[in-house]
Amino acid sequence: MTLELENLSKSFNGQTAVDEINLNVPSGSMYGFLGGNGAGKTTTFRMILGLLQPSAGKITYNGKKIDYDVTNDIGYLPEERGLHPKLKVEEQIRYLGQLKGMSKKVIDKKLDEWLERFGVPENRNKRIEKLSKGNQQKIQLIASIIHDPKLIILDEPFSGLDPVNVEILKTAVKDLNREGATIIFSTHRMEHVEELCESLCILNKGKQVISGNIDEIKSDFGQKEIIIEGDHDVDFLRNMPGVIDMKQIRKKIILKIENESYAEPIYNEIVKLGYFKRFQVNEPSINDIFISKVGTNYE
Amino acid sequence: MNKFMATFSQTYLSKVRAKSFMISTLIIVLLIFIGANFDKIIGIFDSSEELTTIKVESDEAFMTQFEAIMNALESDIDVVENDGEIGAAEALLTIDGTEPLSFTLAADQEIPGDQMNDIEMALGELQRTNTIQALNLSPEEAERLNTPPEITYDIASGPEEAEVDEAATPEEEMFETNMLNTIIFYVTVIVMFFIIINYASQIGTEVAMEKTSRVIEMIVSSVPPVTHLLAKISAMILVSLTQLGIFLIAIVIAIQLFDFSDIISDFGLESDDQTLTMIVYSVIYLILGLVLYLSISALLGSFISRMEDLQQALLPVTMFSLIGFYIAIFNVWGSADNMLVKISSYFPLFTPFVMPLRAINEDTSQITLLIGVAILIVSIILAIWLAASIYRNSVLSTSSGIFKNLKRIRKE
Repeated sequence: MTLELENLSKSFNGQTAVDEINLNVPSGSMYGFLGGNGAGKTTTFRMILGLLQPSAGKITYNGKKIDYDVTNDIGYLPEERGLHPKLKVEEQIRYLGQLKGMSKKVIDKKLDEWLERFGVPENRNKRIEKLSKGNQQKIQLIASIIHDPKLIILDEPFSGLDPVNVEILKTAVKDLNREGATIIFSTHRMEHVEELCESLCILNKGKQVISGNIDEIKSDFGQKEIIIEGDHDVDFLRNMPGVIDMKQIRKKIILKIENESYAEPIYNEIVKLGYFKRFQVNEPSINDIFISKVGTNYE
Repeated sequence: MNKFMATFSQTYLSKVRAKSFMISTLIIVLLIFIGANFDKIIGIFDSSEELTTIKVESDEAFMTQFEAIMNALESDIDVVENDGEIGAAEALLTIDGTEPLSFTLAADQEIPGDQMNDIEMALGELQRTNTIQALNLSPEEAERLNTPPEITYDIASGPEEAEVDEAATPEEEMFETNMLNTIIFYVTVIVMFFIIINYASQIGTEVAMEKTSRVIEMIVSSVPPVTHLLAKISAMILVSLTQLGIFLIAIVIAIQLFDFSDIISDFGLESDDQTLTMIVYSVIYLILGLVLYLSISALLGSFISRMEDLQQALLPVTMFSLIGFYIAIFNVWGSADNMLVKISSYFPLFTPFVMPLRAINEDTSQITLLIGVAILIVSIILAIWLAASIYRNSVLSTSSGIFKNLKRIRKE
């Protein structure tokens, strides 16, 4: 029960949008796609769904090609949001649910549950165009998951939402994953990936920069970050062995070291100076990994 | 098939329940009922009253003459001698002079136009008879005055028509064009034009709206684009047929409720051998024309990425249907079989308008009409095939313009 992408490429008019992506999304996992604008996330998703034909490579789901026989098992929230503006929420969800092979009765029951869960039961009989953007997005998410899909693809599900709604949607996505759905989502917010995903793939200009399990990526990466907070002058640390970078943000000093073995000598040096409020060794952030791999900050 | 039905019923129901559909249907139904009662409505505004009696102030001989002619033209009017009183629905005719004849017609109310005409005609006839008498013409000489010119037609025509010529002159033939068939033709072409313009823009809007609102991406991730497109087109056709059905029911009700016998006898509406052919082909061309134009409009609608461009994108549909409509309408009273009509009847976008015109003419063979049907079916298959192969790519593209899209799709 996995989704596999093999040497997947796509070019438009000679311009490569997606370049040789290889991925394995295990069943039941939560997989994050990270990348800036034009990184190739949406193109990859459209190819997975069969909306675009790959220029090269292949995609299999449970060992089979994805076509309209399996679309009832797939839920998709496109990046460019949109519903029929003139329809009522109820009519819209019924229609999109029926397209996934559901009966009207089941749709109505599920719709009530979801509206309740998202705290918007009063919107059921309103026209889509009358809803706020955040509420439209909730309705569209409901439309893409109401048929209990086994594979859910969410393209930028949290963009354009206020923090409260982001939390509500995040909880829902986590619940769906816990109930067994495989979820792939894209975002350009590092912290969402760190919070939600076990695995990730970073895309940059169509190329796959890093992919795999987040913990493994971090431990393979090796570099650590040390945060020191105190009233002493520690500028000499810059010249300690294993220190790659050092920067100061007000009283907080952030050191980057090649690996954790260099942390102890540094600790030993600074305790000689006296009292420090803080000495902390951190895992590298995904942003650090990205910068070191690509050479630039992607945002 | 289930997914086809989902799109089909959603489109159909949302269109039929739309206010615009209900209002436009209601307006037309109202117009049908108003039209059915037109004579009564005219009656309300028309203060003139039918004359029943004309009183004549003249000698006996003149009166007998006038009475004979008048009764032949209008049996509802009695001609009597003047008794000095003019009541309601009565008029007084006085002779003022005899060489030439001059009259005064007096009445207390307006006289309806058709009765007025009859009176004028009767007096004209009287004048002519009197003149012939005054000139002392013999009956033969008088007869010669009335003889129309004799014209022999020696006009080259196609071999098949040559034989027909012996039986009837072309002039007579043209005159014999059945009024009922012509009315069927008018109704078909006008209804077709109305429905094509209306529903072509509606399906264009539907497709374009789904594309510009981006909901199409969710839809085509669930259902094959071709199924979706065909479901939409079929639903729109059913919506238009529903509307037509309502109009038909309204017409039937109007015929049941109101008396049409006057109108029918006035126009001499009678069916002939060609009427059934006319009706069958009109319905076929109406439906095929609708399918063709709706398929093309759906395709054009899928090209645009902003709603503002819709009217422009649909311009070809408007143009071609307008041209076809005009060719059909302007040729109905002329020679319905001229070169323009013949050639344009084989051009797919004009066929649905022009072929019914040719069907009026008994000389048009069944084969010609069937070729028209075949041309339309082939064009529809082509249009749907083209729409289907382009639709998937064009709905997800954001570039606008027909040619840009075609170019891009060809490359892929």
